[in-house]
Amino acid sequence: MLLLRLSLRNLLRQKRRNILLGSAMAIGVAILITANSFSHGISDIMFNKIMRYVTGHVAVRFNERGGVMREIFRDRQRVWDAVKGEPLIEEADEAIGTFSRAIGNGRSDNIMLIGVDTRKTLSAKAIKELEESFRMAEGKWEDLRRTDVENPVIVAEEKARYLNVKRGDIIRVRFRSMFGQDQAARLTVVGISRNDNIFMQGVVFLDRDRAKDLLGFRPWETGSINITIKDPQKNARALADRIHSRLRPGTAIIYASAGGRPAQVLGFRTDDANKEKLKGVMKLSSGSWDKVLRKDGVVLPAALARQLGVSAGGKIRLAYPRKFETAPREAVLTVTAVCASGCPGPAAVLLNDAGFYDLYYEDMPAGPAAGARTFSAEGPWAELLAPEWVLLNRTNNTDDYKKKYQDIAKNKWKGTTIDVSTMYETASDILKMEGVLNLITVSAVLVLFFIILLGVVNTLRMTIRERTREIGTVRAIGMQRRDVRNMFLLETLLLTLFSSAAGLLLGFAVMKGLALITFHPHDNPLGMLLVNGHLYFLPTFSGVAGSVLLIVLIAVGTAWFPARRAAQLSPAKALGHFG
Amino acid sequence: MNIIEIKGLKKDYPLGATIVPALRGVDLEVGEGDFMSIIGPSGSGKTTLLNIIGCIDFATSGLVSVGGREITALNDRQITDIRLNKIGFIFQTFNLIPVLDVLENIEFPLLLMKRSAAEARKRAEKLVEEVGLKEYAAHRPAELSGGQRQRVAIARALVTNPDIVLADEPTANLDSVTGASILELMRRMNEIEKTTFIFSTHDANVLKYARRIVKIKDGLIEKEPVAA
Repeated sequence: MLLLRLSLRNLLRQKRRNILLGSAMAIGVAILITANSFSHGISDIMFNKIMRYVTGHVAVRFNERGGVMREIFRDRQRVWDAVKGEPLIEEADEAIGTFSRAIGNGRSDNIMLIGVDTRKTLSAKAIKELEESFRMAEGKWEDLRRTDVENPVIVAEEKARYLNVKRGDIIRVRFRSMFGQDQAARLTVVGISRNDNIFMQGVVFLDRDRAKDLLGFRPWETGSINITIKDPQKNARALADRIHSRLRPGTAIIYASAGGRPAQVLGFRTDDANKEKLKGVMKLSSGSWDKVLRKDGVVLPAALARQLGVSAGGKIRLAYPRKFETAPREAVLTVTAVCASGCPGPAAVLLNDAGFYDLYYEDMPAGPAAGARTFSAEGPWAELLAPEWVLLNRTNNTDDYKKKYQDIAKNKWKGTTIDVSTMYETASDILKMEGVLNLITVSAVLVLFFIILLGVVNTLRMTIRERTREIGTVRAIGMQRRDVRNMFLLETLLLTLFSSAAGLLLGFAVMKGLALITFHPHDNPLGMLLVNGHLYFLPTFSGVAGSVLLIVLIAVGTAWFPARRAAQLSPAKALGHFG
Repeated sequence: MNIIEIKGLKKDYPLGATIVPALRGVDLEVGEGDFMSIIGPSGSGKTTLLNIIGCIDFATSGLVSVGGREITALNDRQITDIRLNKIGFIFQTFNLIPVLDVLENIEFPLLLMKRSAAEARKRAEKLVEEVGLKEYAAHRPAELSGGQRQRVAIARALVTNPDIVLADEPTANLDSVTGASILELMRRMNEIEKTTFIFSTHDANVLKYARRIVKIKDGLIEKEPVAA
């Protein structure tokens, strides 16, 4: 209490000097908090306003048969089961979109057609964020649900201007369906959205179910999944790993009947390495390997071939119940060979993987009938049989991610690939920008602090010099060295705390003022750093407290040495000091 | 009984390449309740002797015992404790703490001793009354005259009930009337509190207040003059 009283009064003793130093510190704190809040704001924009709409924090991507545009998975429920139940997930949406050529009123341009889920109930936070990211210049988001017009769409303001369309006009679009067929459609403009993010200035939104319908999705099929999570920087990778581990595929099996007898239709892998292994495992009694490896033939085990009365060159009729439709799927296939030994099972009908997946994905099979024998791949067949899908390995950065996709292109996958990725892989360039901004902030702050440090040391040295006789007096009276040191440290601490409080107020005032300025970035990429045309600051408790703590630690740390030197002064010499 | 015993005390100060002897073998004994003056010309070693007795400077050699405790082997913390508990200081230039008022200056040593604020305040109020500054209790040192400041210094020196009060030229910065009143006060406090007072001076007028006079010259005690 005594030290506190002394320190407080000593602070007021050199008002001018301490106000000057305190002002410098306050400006430092204000700059630090402003920079920190701006940096947090940019992170928030990137993670919650750009990433969530572009790739999500975590994405589960599908590519059927290596087709980059064919982002489809045929069993929606199966894959969504792997995603649901995660408490960290805030939102999970299907990413339905395609590039199209749009023809407006006398002008045409490329657009990005994006499906939006208009039926889900959004939280207040989600609505606020949506409105911040996509302000409606005309119309409302709910208009996408309208049924009185053909394919209602909301068009980005810049695109609407370029296509020369307004609310109520028709846009004609040409695009390719999910399966590569050229399609055309008429879209009705029901709204115009305004967005400062350059990524979002060429988009046309329509209801997600309508978009899926146009692109050829069936109700049980899903597009890639974008997942928005809490605290993405901390949780994205761990969540992606968990989802990835739940998506390990089993062997793809079609429980079918062949000529009225139960059979399990299996695909075998036809990549170069597995072809050779296959020849080593299975012996043919009729037919040739050349024909076996063709897409449209099947290999029957000898027993089943005998029961069916077919041999190589004959035909069999396969039928199997479908998972999502009531009528069974039927197919007539040519027997290319008969397996004499080494077959995967006595009722296993083998099909080249390309042909197998044609059947499997087009009409997903139901599971085995109740009481039917189930199949399980054993021995070398565990590796040779086609899996339900190909789960790509997890990667950590964009370089590995790119390499992974180059490998996919080379391998010409027959099955659907599933890739679980995070923003760190899909958009690390955007994230690097955040790092650069942080670095600039830190550099500026370091320079600033260096200046403040000099101020603290200089002021304290002057103060100690002026108060040397006083130090001698209190030491002579009986104050311990430790208390003398603490008295000066306490003075610095109090000065720093008062300055920090002033800096906090100043910082918030500066942020408020800067956030009032409206920018019109148009197509400047830096526009994506704005929210509704304004700079966006996001002060956080940890950021503010950290800034204050940092300046307190630096100031008190800097004061330590002169304060200690003051405490070490000999009382006799200090009392004899003049000047 | 002696409260201070000094034997063969020497103190040298380095001055560049040379050593300047300030005390060259001082032997001195001071009894409890003495009111003693150390006299001598400037540079004779008065302040050095007081500083060493007051534990704010160290002897080069010799033995110094304060209150029955040999001080030359103690560490800084112990020495500081002795200064706080056993010794009171009155300085030529008053050396009050400018940011504290009169009462706060007086109670300051008690608060260093971790006495309660109420106890410290009560004792300080008694002393401020004794030194005749009751109406100035809330004034800061800058608002007081030289004589008033020295009275505050005397009260501060006595507030802890020390065994010894050391006063280095307590009247040097005061006019003769004020100086005399300060010495009167010191003498009165010596009689009331039974505290040993040792003060240095080179002013012959001051000597009449001392009961014992020690003359020092060139770092040596010259003779033991008679009591006043």
